[in-house]
Amino acid sequence: MAKIIQYQLFFPKPPEVVWEYITNPELIAQWLMPSDIKPVVGHEFQFRTNAMPEMDFDGVFYCKVLEVDPCKMLSYSWKFGPGDGTLNSSIVIWVLTETPNGTELLLVHRGFEGSSFMSMFDSMSEGWPKHIQKILQLINTTNNGSTEA
Amino acid sequence: MEAQRLDAFQVIADPSRRQILHLLSKDSLTINSLAENFDMSRPAVSKHIKVLYNAGFISIQDIGRERHCILKQDGFDELHKWLAYYDAFWGSKLKKLEALLNDKTDKK
Repeated sequence: MAKIIQYQLFFPKPPEVVWEYITNPELIAQWLMPSDIKPVVGHEFQFRTNAMPEMDFDGVFYCKVLEVDPCKMLSYSWKFGPGDGTLNSSIVIWVLTETPNGTELLLVHRGFEGSSFMSMFDSMSEGWPKHIQKILQLINTTNNGSTEA
Repeated sequence: MEAQRLDAFQVIADPSRRQILHLLSKDSLTINSLAENFDMSRPAVSKHIKVLYNAGFISIQDIGRERHCILKQDGFDELHKWLAYYDAFWGSKLKKLEALLNDKTDKK
């Protein structure tokens, strides 16, 4: 599984139109979630959705605008948590590229704390037989040891 | 075990706990040998181990007199769960955006 979420779309529209759809709260509410977003660096805003107790999620994404390059690039932090004040962080990045007949829109959602561990575990799968071998060995030697003692 | 129940992201937000997981990814270790890698007290290391244990990142096996810590899949599954969630989330939201933007193709 990827550690970065990435989507690329094409719209037969100029970047100015696409930009509106990712920065104007009224337009965003139509496809994403209600929010008080403003494309201003440092602006803090929230996206609100349904809570998901089974995911330890209170239904609020806490965001802060990190970078704005009008009609070209927008990024904000994206934090979420169970509602007790502790938050998991990540970053959402939008990149708009003008093409002769429209706009390419790239979404990247990355920077999840701990995502590096997922590959760590995957890479371990070869190591497992060795680990188990070692544990078996340990169990056996301690058993032998204690019976002989 | 009444250590605070943290979610997977909170668990690995702590550098010492990440370090413990890294050490365990190479080999299963006893609590004592893990503690040797840290400046903090053994009880402090034990506390981190308890947090990792509660979140399903490690299992603990008593072998002889020693307690061995072994990396476990469950905690990592929770991280996978969130990534899978966001992947599906953006996929469906962007479909909506596509529908919205392509709806207005009439006016150029």
